[in-house]
Amino acid sequence: MPAPLFRKQGMTKYIIRRFLGLIPTLLIIMSLSFFIIRVAPGGPFARERSIPKLVLRNILKKYHLDEPLWKQYGRYMLDVVRGDLGPSYRYHDRDVNYFMAQALPDSMVLGLMSLTLAVVFGIGTGIISATRQNTWADYTSMAVAIVGVSIPLFVVGPILMYFFALRWKWFPTSGWFMADASWKTAVMPVITLTLPYFAYIARLSRASILEVLRSDYVRTAQAKGLRPAVVMFKHILKGALLPVVSYLGPAFANIVTGSIVVESIFRVPGLGNVFIQSAQNRDYTMIMGTVIVYSVILLVMNFVVDILYGVLDPRISYR
Amino acid sequence: MAEKLGSDRRQKAVNQFGESIRGVSLWLDAWRRLKRNRMALIGLVVIVLYCLVALLAPVLPIYSYKHQVLNHQYLPPSLTRTAGELLLERRQRESLAEARAAGREGLSGEQERELGELRERLAVETMEFDGKPVRVNEKRYLLGTDSLGRDLLARIIYGSRVSIAIGIVGTFTAVMIGIIIGSLAGFLGGGFDYLAMRFVDVLYGLPYMLLVIIFMAVFGRNILNLFVSLAIVSWLTVARVMRGQILSLKNMEFVQAAWVVGAGTGRIIYRHLVPNTLGVVVVFATLQIPSFILLESFLSFLGLGVQAPMSSWGSLVRDGVDGMANYPWLLFFPALTMTIFLFSMNFLGDGLRDALDPQSKNKL
Repeated sequence: MPAPLFRKQGMTKYIIRRFLGLIPTLLIIMSLSFFIIRVAPGGPFARERSIPKLVLRNILKKYHLDEPLWKQYGRYMLDVVRGDLGPSYRYHDRDVNYFMAQALPDSMVLGLMSLTLAVVFGIGTGIISATRQNTWADYTSMAVAIVGVSIPLFVVGPILMYFFALRWKWFPTSGWFMADASWKTAVMPVITLTLPYFAYIARLSRASILEVLRSDYVRTAQAKGLRPAVVMFKHILKGALLPVVSYLGPAFANIVTGSIVVESIFRVPGLGNVFIQSAQNRDYTMIMGTVIVYSVILLVMNFVVDILYGVLDPRISYR
Repeated sequence: MAEKLGSDRRQKAVNQFGESIRGVSLWLDAWRRLKRNRMALIGLVVIVLYCLVALLAPVLPIYSYKHQVLNHQYLPPSLTRTAGELLLERRQRESLAEARAAGREGLSGEQERELGELRERLAVETMEFDGKPVRVNEKRYLLGTDSLGRDLLARIIYGSRVSIAIGIVGTFTAVMIGIIIGSLAGFLGGGFDYLAMRFVDVLYGLPYMLLVIIFMAVFGRNILNLFVSLAIVSWLTVARVMRGQILSLKNMEFVQAAWVVGAGTGRIIYRHLVPNTLGVVVVFATLQIPSFILLESFLSFLGLGVQAPMSSWGSLVRDGVDGMANYPWLLFFPALTMTIFLFSMNFLGDGLRDALDPQSKNKL
């Protein structure tokens, strides 16, 4: 009978403490991005065309930019806590929340699809090459893995795009299936974003499976006459997957930065594109809004991975 | 206290300490192991070649990376033919297509005359670069030209200069900051340690790439800001590693001996502790260089890194993506350059790690 999860001593307490620990980090992120942006030379309205003084003053007043810094800061933090990311400085008829609501689902789908594929195929490949060590299957998959690990997304993406979209025209070059119709638009961005994490997970799980394969308890299980599949899934993977789980935390962070590149290559209308565009436009509130949304996602994901790790690893106890 | 010890005895102690560093034998040992790893050696050779080419770029017989010859837009790569010949060929193809569209086989007399004129004009055309007239159409672009008629080979070589320089200088800065803060935190302990490590923890939790992007967007896109912003976010790991090392070393006998003979905090850290951690730091730094290069290219690719007319691998790939439908060489050569370098770096890094820490052999 499988042991129920969440039976560990002090688990609930740990979860609550860990969750409360997220709040200061989030506050620091918000404050940091607020102040970096406010001390920056040149405001969003300091542009090539000179605006009459009166108009400029009115604009500044409208966005509360004429108030002292601490007041702006307080106002902004309060608004964010209430879930209002403020107006966009660039698009006067829309606020930041609107853009986030537009872009977030696209990015989430892209990121989660890639991560799921990376985990499933990565572990699968790891199992195959560990159990067939030093065969052609092992060599091929590890060669692919080396390519995936060492070549950055922004080189792999365009090369894939050149061959699959421009040369052979199997898939469209840009667009996104949630906005357009064809599912085909999803293939290239997802594959590109999957590749590096797939590669890393494959290498990681191969190495750790090889290590566990030599351990005593696996030999015992094999000696008992259990079927290889049972040994693999019930005994080996349980121990061998811990490094993979702990890699998921950094993987989320990397997928966020990776998705910025992939979205920019394949013109996916996601958060990454919004972020880069607002960074180029100096759309202050939009930059901060994106950073906050990204940070919340990252922090929550890291939190989940931490808890998951504790549940999976019996050696970890919560004091 | 220190004065009471005879100076010759102190000298002797220093000498013994100097001899007892296993550094020399460790490195020799590592080198011996590295030599046996053929992929790592190939990687090393390739990287040395890259660095040489990047270093010698100003004296190599290549064209300027920023001189634009607007006639020479998008010339394909060619080992043998000059720019003039390529232009003539292109015009001839166009004339033939026109003739065929008009339903004629072969060129009309007028077109022939036009081509002849073009040939003559191309042969004598000169442009002034740095006050000197140059027969531009005699140039040979081995890797073709870009959208502004600049030599791609030169741009790649000068781009490598930028990329490699950022990799090395950035790693150096980050490692220095990390060493200073990490060793101070480990050695002093107490309040400073607590504050520094909480600070590192918080920064670790941040999505630092986003902060770098904000930094670049806000403070302007130039090389200096690129260095600063990358250095700010990359010293964390070094600091942590360093602190751990120092913690494990600071209660050892040789440190106590140094205290006893009256060495100060700074001297102990600088002369006794830091040298003992260098092995770890060097390995870390080697592994850090490619990731720095990647960060820089990532930013340049997004248009937030180095700015025109300067180039780096990232910005070259970006330019290549923009024109790849019709001019694929603009993408392939920069991508290939970068790929070869990163592969070599990967093999060398793996080899170094295996050589310096044989126990890590089968780990990732």
